This record gives sequence, C-alpha cells and structure tokens, in this order.
Amino acid sequence: MSLFWLVIRQLAEIEAMAASKKVITREEWEKKLNDVKIRKEDMNRLVMNFLVTEGYVEVAEKFRMESGTEPDIDLATITDRMAVKKAVQSGNVEDAIEKVNDLNPEILDTNPQLFFHLQQQRLIELIRNGKVEEALEFAQEELAPRGEENQSFLEELERTVALLAFEDVSNCPVGELLDISQRLKTASEVNAAILTSQSHEKDPKLPSLLKMLIWAQNQLDEKAAYPRINDLSSAILEDPTV
Amino acid sequence: MPTPSVPSDPILDRLASSDCEVKFKAIREVKNHIIGNRTKKLSYIKLGAVPAVAAALSDCDPNLIVQSAAALGSFACGVDAGVRAVLDAGAFPRLIGLLSAPDEKVVDAAARSLRMIYQSKLAPNYEFFQEKNMQFLLSLLKSENENLTGLGAGIVIHSCKTIEEQNMLCDAGVLEKLASLLHGSLSQRDASLESLAAIIRNNPAAVSKFVELHSGRALCSVTELAKDRYPRTRLLACLCLISVKNSSSCDLQDTEIKTELVYILLELLDDSGQVGDEAAFAFSSLIAEKEDLQKLAFEANAINKFNCLLRKCPVHPKRLEGIFLALADICSKLECCRSSFLSLQVLNLVVDALTHEDANVRTAACICLRSVSRSIKNLSAGRFMNERVVVPLVQLLSDLSTSVQVAALGAISNIVVDFMPHKSTFIQCGGIKELVQLTKSMDSSLRLNAVWALRNMVFLADKMCKEGIFVELTASSMASLINDPEPSIQEQALALVRNFVDGCVYSVEHAFAEDGIVLDAVGRQLQKSSKIEIGIQGLYVLSNIASGNEIHKEAVMQLLFPQDENGCCTFFEQFLKSNDSRIRTAAVWVVVNLTFPASPGAFSRIVNLRSFGIVYRIKKMVNDSCMDVKLRARLALGQIITFGDS
Repeated sequence: MSLFWLVIRQLAEIEAMAASKKVITREEWEKKLNDVKIRKEDMNRLVMNFLVTEGYVEVAEKFRMESGTEPDIDLATITDRMAVKKAVQSGNVEDAIEKVNDLNPEILDTNPQLFFHLQQQRLIELIRNGKVEEALEFAQEELAPRGEENQSFLEELERTVALLAFEDVSNCPVGELLDISQRLKTASEVNAAILTSQSHEKDPKLPSLLKMLIWAQNQLDEKAAYPRINDLSSAILEDPTV
Repeated sequence: MPTPSVPSDPILDRLASSDCEVKFKAIREVKNHIIGNRTKKLSYIKLGAVPAVAAALSDCDPNLIVQSAAALGSFACGVDAGVRAVLDAGAFPRLIGLLSAPDEKVVDAAARSLRMIYQSKLAPNYEFFQEKNMQFLLSLLKSENENLTGLGAGIVIHSCKTIEEQNMLCDAGVLEKLASLLHGSLSQRDASLESLAAIIRNNPAAVSKFVELHSGRALCSVTELAKDRYPRTRLLACLCLISVKNSSSCDLQDTEIKTELVYILLELLDDSGQVGDEAAFAFSSLIAEKEDLQKLAFEANAINKFNCLLRKCPVHPKRLEGIFLALADICSKLECCRSSFLSLQVLNLVVDALTHEDANVRTAACICLRSVSRSIKNLSAGRFMNERVVVPLVQLLSDLSTSVQVAALGAISNIVVDFMPHKSTFIQCGGIKELVQLTKSMDSSLRLNAVWALRNMVFLADKMCKEGIFVELTASSMASLINDPEPSIQEQALALVRNFVDGCVYSVEHAFAEDGIVLDAVGRQLQKSSKIEIGIQGLYVLSNIASGNEIHKEAVMQLLFPQDENGCCTFFEQFLKSNDSRIRTAAVWVVVNLTFPASPGAFSRIVNLRSFGIVYRIKKMVNDSCMDVKLRARLALGQIITFGDS
C-alpha cells in the first residue's frame, strides 16, 4: 500500500499550501510525482494479488517465473477454485458443490446462506431445463427444510418456485433468476467463500487503490486545480481547467 | 415438513463393501449429501451410517481416510446427535492418531474433523494437567499447518474452564504461542483471540500475565484488532479487552477505551448473523455492575439502539435474550436509563416476551423487568402493577424451567414492594397461592426467591393483604422456613416475619398463632446465631414484637431470658457486645421497645434487665463508635433512668 500513501502525503502537502484554490501546472505536478518512489516489488505484488484473486492461474504462473514474485496463496488451489467457479457459471451446480466439499468440507457446512444459494441455483437450472417434476421434488426435499430454518430463505425459495407458474418465464416478474447474471452472482459468492476459507482477501487490492485515488482527487478538487486523471485505463494526466 | 429421504439403495452395504472403489464412492456420496444439510445428517445418523463411515478411518488408502474424516467432521458440525454418534463409533482416538500421519491431506482432514467435534459441548474434556497432553497442545499451536493451530486453539476454547486450567496454560507458555498467532492468517487471528479470552476470563493473574506479555505488545495487537475490518475479529478482540478491563484495576481504565468498546459493540449489533447476537451478550458483560459504563452506554444512545433492534421482526431468540440482558444491565443502577427505557415503550416488548416459546428469552425478559422495576418513582405510580404485566409473570411461577421461575420471582419481588392500592391485582390473579406453593419447592433457589417475594409483598401491606397471605402460608410453614437448611432462606424467612409483625398490635399477633410456633423458631435461630444477617433479622422481629402490648413485651422477655438460664451471660448480651454495629443497633432497639416508659410493666422489666447485666451493658454503649448505636443506647438509657438509677 506504500504507493498510495506516498501519493496521499504529496497531495496533503499540496493541500496545506493552498490557502485558496491553488493552480498547479503540469510541470510542477510531474516533478512532484517524479519524487515519489515506488518499489518495483510492490508493484509486482499488487499485480500478482490481482491475478491470484481473479484466478488467472496460468498468467500468475508465468508472471511468477518472469518476475520472481511469489504468490501469497498456493497456485494449485486457484485451479480448484476456478473449476468450482466455472462449474457454477456453466450450470453444473451439483458438480460445483462436490468440488467445494473436496476442497474444504467446512465451507458449505458453516455457511448456510451460501449453501442455500447453491441449492437454489440447482433448482433454477432444473427449471431452466424444463424438468418440472424433478424441480418440485428437489424444492420440497432439499430446499423446504432450509426455508423452515430461516425466514429469508423461505422468501427466496417462494420467489424461485414462482418461476414454475409462468408460461413465458423470460417475461415474468422473477425472470431475472434465469439470467446468466444470477449464475455469475452465485459463482462469485462461492469464489469469495473459498478465498475467505483460505484466509485470503476476497477482493483484489488494485481496485481499492484506484477507488482511493479517485476519492483523493475529489478531496483535492475542492482545494486546487491540478492535472487530474479522468480515464483510469489510460491514466493520462489532463491539464487543469482554470 | 417433508420427510427427509435417504437414497433407497442399500447405502449401508456399500459403505461396508470390501471393494475399495465402491466404499470410496459411498462415503463421498454420504459426505456430499450431509454437508450443509441438517435434515440429511439426522436421517443418516438414524440409519446407523456413522459407524460404517468411521470404520474407514482404519483403512490404509489415504483418499478413503480423507473422505471418511471429512464425512465424520460434517456429522459433528452443528448437530449434537452427530457428535455423539462419532464419539460412540470410537472415531475420536483414531482421528487424534491420524494427526501424525505422513500424508498432509490426511492430517488436514483429521484436524478439521476434530475441530468440529471440539466445537461441541459433548467433546471429551482435554486434560491439560497431563504433561504429554500439554506438550501435544503446544506442538499443535506452534505448527506451520493452519488446521493444526486451529485445532489447538479449539481445544483451549473447549476445555479451559477453571482457574487451575487457565493458570496451567499460562505457566506452560500457551499465551506466548497464542500471541504469535495474532499476526497470522484471518482464521488464526480469530482462533487466537477466542482462546486468549478463554484463558484470561475472570482470572486477574492470567490477565496481568497477558498484559505484560511482550512488554504490552500483545495487548496492543488485540486493541488494534478491535478495529479490524472483519466483524467477528472485532467482536473477539472486544471480548478479550472486556476480560482485561473487568479483572484489572489499573489497565484499560481510561474512559477513551471504555467509550470505544461501547461504540464498537453497539455497531456490531447491526451484524445480522451470529456476531450481532453475541455482541449483545458481550455488551452486557462490559457494563454489568459498572455504573460509569452504564452511563457511557446511556450517552451512546444504547437504549434507543436496542429498542430499534427489538422492533425489527422477527428477532432471533438468541438475540432477544442478549438484548434483554443488556437492557437489564443498563437499567440496573441509573434512573435516567429506566426513564428512557419506559418512555421508549420498550416495556411492552419485554412483557410480550414473557410468553415467548424459548425459555432463555422468558428468563431474560424477567431479569430485564426486575431491573427496570427498581425505579421507585415508577413503582409508586403503579406502572408495573397492572394485569398486562402481572398476569403473565404469575403464570411464569409455574413454568417448567426453574431458571424462568427464579427470574420471575425476582421481578415479582420488586413489583410487589410497597404501594398498597396496587397489590390487589397481584392477589386477584392468584399470585399469592403460586408464591406460597413455591416456598415448599425442593429447589432451594425457588424457595429463597419465593420467600423473598413474599417478604416484599408483606412490607407495609394492609391488614387484608397480610391476613390473606398468612392464611395461605400458615404459621407452621413459616416456622419451617425459619428452620430451612439454607441460611439465606432462614434470613429471608425471618425478614418475612419481621414485616408481618411490623405495625399495629394486630400485626404482632401473627407471631403468636399456633401456640407461638413462629416465635419459638425465631428464638431458636437467634440462640444458634450462625450468621450475622440472620441475627439482624431475628432481632428486628423481636424489636417489632416488643413494640406491641404488655403480653407481647413479656413474651420477648421470656424468650430472651428463659427461667432456667442461670443468668451469667445471656445470648442477648452477646448481641449487644457484637463487633457488627448493625447487630448492636438491632439489639438496642429491642431494649428501647421493652423499656418504653408509658407501658405498665416497664419497671419490672427494667429490674430484670438490670439483673441480667443488660442495663450495665447499655450504659457502656452510650459512647459507641457507631452513631446509630450511640443514639439508641442514649434513648434506652433515658427511658431506664426515668424509673430511677440504682
């Protein structure tokens, strides 16, 4: 996190100097930025953290060989985690559940909400495939007991079963459950739970650094006009509008 | 509820198959069925699948062992019947043995399962005093393997209960090992915090060891973790800090940290899961008995926060219980808190909870009610003595759970104090009958609290009320309560008699019913005089009786100075010579009432008192160190002197 704090300190110094709204030219700004020292290893670790958390295992492996940066997690577990994620994303929920249980049986045993969402996704897939009878049986046997244990599960279950009541599910009020986005939502929930069980942050650091950059710029906007980064992907400094 | 189905194929046969492949698949199938699924766990347990799964732990194929251990761990996770089944199947020692297996996957699986078992109360107690056990625990805690350190912490959390165990763990260096885990992974930090809390809870010696650990750096780490981004970590760190705060005088006494703890815990209440539920209990232990912290909580608007949480429906029973206990603590001392509680209409919610299906919630609601009803202002306004409050409370007197009954008695004790016009509500709904019934209970805490409630009920009660209670209770039961085996009940029973015989002459008559059986019992307790509090209550009984008519006064004389006593040193003189000023005060009061000059027999009583050396004793007391004693002694002596000093 050293990069961020160095920038912040610079910004704070500038802020202190600005009694009224101060104008900082591009030269001044670039000179100040040049004085900030960032360690290469920190950059590499941020990149590695991003690759690992997002699950780009092959890239991470290559990056490790080329940069010598050690990942903060066993790369083999990423493959397993990605396999689970992929299984959910492609609708093979039962397969995903078995894989999670092989990875660590505690995850679904101690996380009723996640377990329910996976079972709910299984039900959604059955409905999507038109297996009405199987879906009803599954809902009654597997999901109803969970609904009895928890009121909010019951409500979600009712919403899901409602899918069966509509002829044209794409146009019904609960149709979004059949969207791919629902699968992605469930997949990312499983992904996060696996990461947490491995004592790993569930979000990469890079996006939060960028969020902090935007926040800091917004703070500074009130005090000074300076070359601002508006497009994060290009990180181009844009001249201040005075 | 749909009946949970177990696959119709003979799973037990497959679990016991000699074909490894079949067995492996069967165990994995069971595992995948039961994980996360309580109903399936129960039905497989009923089917008898656990012993079959456990048998595979003795297999030599590591993959099979891993599946078996994982399935057993899941059976034990969150289901007590599962823990019992796993233990009964003899899997426990086998799992311990597997911790030293060469295959790391086997070690992980065994450690996970054992950790699940140790989360249950049913797990066998770990005997720290055995040297090899302690060494094994230390080896777990310093392991590189996260599952093993987690297991070590789990053992401490499960089995460290007594002061001896806490000290043993401190001496063996467990604190140091745990402190180093504070900088480990997320799960290690949480496990370490929870075990630290278990070791230092209510143990000042362990607390000071912990505070001094690494010259205070361990405590600093915990303080930092109280602001961690993970709610569970914050909660556990708070629990450690509360233990430190509650058992040390110098550390953590500054208001800043106290305020911080109050705010952190109030914020944690917003967590909708287990952390939020437990935060209420932690909050309660933070402020219990501490007026300054209750004030801080009040200023932090805690009552309003609890009020809002209670109004969110439905509230989990565990959370309800915690919130009521926390409210009970906030309202236990400060009137401003009680006012705020009442003006926010929280009372209605508490009264509703008196009929909650969960016994712990009912108990907590009673405790809360008891605390709020300490408000004299609201008691005298009859705020609690109405049917809405009293009827469910009286019903709780016959609750199936003893702790509910005791808590209800506690609330009733407060509500019935004083303020005559309202007592009829209580009598009308059969409260007296219930209370009297409970004074005959086999459970001593029920007897104690029932007598206590009656004592408060009789306090300043009118003739009607006293008569009603006396007829129900009877003199003979009162006498047997005075002779109860429990000293605390003897004391309350004497206090009850004291209130009965307080007031007009007809009140005093109660002591003489059934041939004076009550008065005899009082006399015997006073002669035994085993406990100061018993002596005090007994003497006030006599003092109240001695304020009655001639017959009453003579009866007291008879009791204090029986004919057959040789008169050298009476037990009454011992009371006047007591080191306890409360006893001396009560004893002098008796003399004051016996020597009241307007009563015709006063002179002859003074002659008797003089002959037993009592007047001499009183003269010595006019310069007593206790102001109360001094004033009463002077009053008594003044009365005695009106008949001449010889």
